[in-house]
Amino acid sequence: MPQRTFEEVVLPHLDAAFNYARWLAKNDADAEDVVQDAYVRALRFFSSLRGENARAWLLSIVRNTWYGRFPARGVDRIVTFDGGTDDRPGDGLDPEALVIQQQTVQRVQRALEALPPDFREVLVLRELEGLSYKEMAIVIGVPIGTVMSRLARARERLLPILASSEAATGGHREVS
Amino acid sequence: MKCHEIGRVLDAYVDGELGPPESAGFEEHLGVCAACSRRVADRELVGRLVKQVPYYSAPDRLRVAVLRARKRSRFTPQLLALAATVALAASLGGVMVVRTARSRQAVDVTTSIAEDVVGSHVRALMGEHLLDVRSTDQHTVKPWFLGKLDFSPPVEDLASSGFPLVGGRLDYMVARPVAALVYKRRQHMINVFIWPAQEQDTGFDARSIRGFQVQHWTRSGMSFWAVSDLNEAELRELARALVH
Repeated sequence: MPQRTFEEVVLPHLDAAFNYARWLAKNDADAEDVVQDAYVRALRFFSSLRGENARAWLLSIVRNTWYGRFPARGVDRIVTFDGGTDDRPGDGLDPEALVIQQQTVQRVQRALEALPPDFREVLVLRELEGLSYKEMAIVIGVPIGTVMSRLARARERLLPILASSEAATGGHREVS
Repeated sequence: MKCHEIGRVLDAYVDGELGPPESAGFEEHLGVCAACSRRVADRELVGRLVKQVPYYSAPDRLRVAVLRARKRSRFTPQLLALAATVALAASLGGVMVVRTARSRQAVDVTTSIAEDVVGSHVRALMGEHLLDVRSTDQHTVKPWFLGKLDFSPPVEDLASSGFPLVGGRLDYMVARPVAALVYKRRQHMINVFIWPAQEQDTGFDARSIRGFQVQHWTRSGMSFWAVSDLNEAELRELARALVH
């Protein structure tokens, strides 16, 4: 029977693995180390991966590697913000709006980095990776109900940034 | 549904995780409750804002490191590797020569990519697959990549500098799909590989591998690798024309 290879199944999720690790670690060096170790583990256990979701499987290995390596760090690391700017083109926005938009992005980034890791990761997995609740439950190793309640609390914690960002997003808040 | 029930499934609704019957009940309530509609709108706005934060793509050195780990696992089963290490340590009279893989990788990641670049250039020229899109028009080649890559490579015809564009193709390097542009000078073909970089802008790194010239530089968040059997000076000319 045709066996799918590591290259086909696991390697394509390298960006997802790094993005997740980077948001957990909040710095490049630790994130790279963790992903590299996670891939070594993934190679070792690849034969045990059956028909499951390879991305969720890999991300759960990334998570376990991170918490195995930095058990205490997850909670108490100081947030360092290097002022990294978002350089994606702001399609057709005038310069002033662009500045406001960039400030908003930075504010959201800081708010997200300041969240406890349990809340931060659900937002990253949901909004940046587009994982379903079921996949997130696999990655984090908790029931789906827990995923949902963490997402709810994480979003509620971010609500205060809305007030300051309305101008930037052009008033998307109209209620139908 | 009532307001207090809405709160329980608010996020599931926003995330599209609610079954059809519950969704219908939810929306019915939204139609009559401005406060709950507002809660949904707020949730959705948080989602849109979070989606704008940086998505961190894996840097090239990590890609190379992972690919190497893969190669090691394929060609040297771990027990053999362990046996070899033990034998080596014994032959050195107990002197442990342990260099971590990671420190090596930092040094020669560029070399490793350059070798892959040459390999891909050679394979493409051996007639396997040089062009997916044949055109001297940058306005044809650039849109061709749309939807095939998660980035938009800069595409420029350099005919005025003496390097006419021949076309482009999709290639696969450092465990990711990349853009390959093909230029020509006289009878020499030049491949320029482009993919997103996390690194800062760099100068030109020139090297010669198996008789091929390789020029590497990073500009505006893109990593460029030009390779050809052209001489170094002329390949540098192309690199300069691309950077200008």
